[in-house]
Amino acid sequence: MGSHFGAVQESYAQDLAIFRTKLHWGALFAFLLFLFTCPLFFSDRMLTIMTMIGIAVISVHGLNILTGYCGQISIGHAGFMAVGGYASAILCAKLGFPFWIALPCGALTAGIAGLIFGLPSLKIKGFYLIMATIAAQFIIIWTIIQLRSITGGPDGLSVPKPAIGSIVLSSKANYFYLVMAFTCLATLLAKNIVRTRTGRAFIAIRDNDLAAEVMGISLWSYKLQAFFIGCVYAGVAGSLLIHYYSFASIDQFPFMDSVWYLGMLIVGGMGSTTGAIMGAVALRLLDEFITMVGPVLSAAVAPQAAASLALISHGLVIIIFLIFEPRGLHHRWEMIKAYFRLWPFSHEE
Amino acid sequence: MATMRWLVVLLVTVVITFSVFPNDVEAQKKLYVGGTQSLTGPFAEDSAAVLAAIEDYVRYVNETKNMAPWRKEKFPADITLEVLWRDDELKPAKALSIYEELKAKGMMVARISGSPIALALKDKMWEDRMGATSMATGPYYLTPPQSCLTYYPIYTDSMAAIADWFKASWKETRKPKVAYLTADNAMGRSIEIPEMKAYLEKVGYEFAGTQYVPLVPTSPPTTQLTWLKEKGVDLALGIMINPGAQPTVKEMVRLGMGPFQPHKMTFGTGAPGHSAVLAEAMGPLGDGYVCAGSFRPMDDLTVLGIKFCHELQDKYRPGKRVTHIMYQAGILEGMIQVEALRLAMQEVPFEKLTRRDVLEKGFFKIKNLETGKISSTPLTYGEGDIEGVDQIRIDQVQKGKVVEVGLTPLRNIFTRK
Repeated sequence: MGSHFGAVQESYAQDLAIFRTKLHWGALFAFLLFLFTCPLFFSDRMLTIMTMIGIAVISVHGLNILTGYCGQISIGHAGFMAVGGYASAILCAKLGFPFWIALPCGALTAGIAGLIFGLPSLKIKGFYLIMATIAAQFIIIWTIIQLRSITGGPDGLSVPKPAIGSIVLSSKANYFYLVMAFTCLATLLAKNIVRTRTGRAFIAIRDNDLAAEVMGISLWSYKLQAFFIGCVYAGVAGSLLIHYYSFASIDQFPFMDSVWYLGMLIVGGMGSTTGAIMGAVALRLLDEFITMVGPVLSAAVAPQAAASLALISHGLVIIIFLIFEPRGLHHRWEMIKAYFRLWPFSHEE
Repeated sequence: MATMRWLVVLLVTVVITFSVFPNDVEAQKKLYVGGTQSLTGPFAEDSAAVLAAIEDYVRYVNETKNMAPWRKEKFPADITLEVLWRDDELKPAKALSIYEELKAKGMMVARISGSPIALALKDKMWEDRMGATSMATGPYYLTPPQSCLTYYPIYTDSMAAIADWFKASWKETRKPKVAYLTADNAMGRSIEIPEMKAYLEKVGYEFAGTQYVPLVPTSPPTTQLTWLKEKGVDLALGIMINPGAQPTVKEMVRLGMGPFQPHKMTFGTGAPGHSAVLAEAMGPLGDGYVCAGSFRPMDDLTVLGIKFCHELQDKYRPGKRVTHIMYQAGILEGMIQVEALRLAMQEVPFEKLTRRDVLEKGFFKIKNLETGKISSTPLTYGEGDIEGVDQIRIDQVQKGKVVEVGLTPLRNIFTRK
């Protein structure tokens, strides 16, 4: 076999592989090494930020499967996170379940809630589905408040710290490893789900549900599967969030979070696993940046200058992306890669 | 795309520059006060006023080394105070990373900006032995462990104070009917505990039920008020902030409800719905509105603490005065945090000072802290005693002005577990 330039795949399996070149494997190894060593050189604050980013990434992966791939827009994602989080919290705090059993149970509960609230998607779509999922958010929070004897109502519920055997994950570093393990697993699963028959069916439904149905794809089954999978992801994220706080409270799942998760997807790029990661990371980092510049701006301009800065900047970023880069950061990243792949022989002068 | 390469190079250069050169070199003895603020969201105005007051108070202490005009104690001359703060937007996730950041910077005192933040940080603060002042006063604080300290009464105790005051003037033979008309969030719902209802029934009320109003209503709460009217409620109790209380009272008047209206009903709230703010905004329209644990009007210069607030503003912010009542809260928070640091340093030298020292030898050693009558009573804290005041002042809006109508002892409604 003669030598060749670039990455040429010689079999179908090679073409399908997620990590195809030595560079891919090298980058993966470097990334995992970086994650593994983060607690050695990052402060507790940085670990907290990265942990929260990890949880957001898991949640946005779920929303990406539901909205990005299957086209079922949901603005109730924080509500489904609440279901997973509270289910897990109740199992641990009230029934003494270990974290490792409570977490999948929480995820499953969120998935079932997703199935229930996903039922309207069989009859409605677009704007009307958005309204139905918004209703889901409010119904879930209302239910949590009403079930005071179980959930603690508005006062919340104390949750024990998760433990693996005798090791209690009480330090920031321990929990960081846990969340990152789940984030990597969730990413790998999300990447693979969309490469399966189910994933292709999701995409077909998103692109044209009528055509998909004509081709023999069961809308009923696949739409509900998308809701289930998306909400299982939300449940895992909610559970990890609650256990990180060691406290379950309805205030941890505000309606606006559901909107921002969708915003993360828009910024990152819908229908792309990498995009979901990029969006979550970008908006969370923007959040932190705003927090840091707030006092500086306040001192330099006016005391009220920092107020609502985050709201404005988030909204502005989402609008800018919708207008100038509707395919999100992921698309921009692909363009950058393409440019450097050809460099120095650019398409442009 | 050609410019993109230069952008990448520029970005890398900026990152390297910021990584290599240290931000600042600190040589002087410095202690931090302040903490997380909610400058975005429903508490934005309150938080901004609190922040302004903390900044002014810290400048005052740094310049004079006095703790307050009516106090003789001095802050250590060789130590400078600095205000550190970040906007948490009332988001628990954000407050968490801010807390870690401020802690890493060496902060030994903190603050809570609202109930959502309190619920998320309370246990963590205890783990870190971080003493914190709090703008929120939910009963959840009364479940040990505790390192968050309040400077106005716990919401449930405020409700009990209004109920006691109202019952004392009740002339009819039938039981008065009471209902909750409260904000639909963690703060507002925190009064819905069995102990509160049991207390109301014990002192002779008939409990009618609960109605919720959004924290910041977008339409008048007509349905909720009509329900109260139909039920014949005599006293409505709730925890609201002024953006919620004002439209509620306005709609009450429109529906002919109030102590001076055809349908006699008194509406009482806890401290966040400050009567001075409501009276200033609504004038005689707000007549009859009751608030427990509220701050005094900012123009009441007969009060030492308020006079101090004015002196600070004359000196440090002439031309851009803060008229919001929560300026007083900021002065209180500044006083408590700085007092905790001062007391701790009497027992432990600056170099060896830890968060635990500041909590145990500072915050918990604050006894009868005279606040110039800004708080209902002087403040006292200790292990297991986080509710600074021991009596609750009750104010009512009468003829558009705030009138003090009662002073009630704390009832400690929430069972201490």
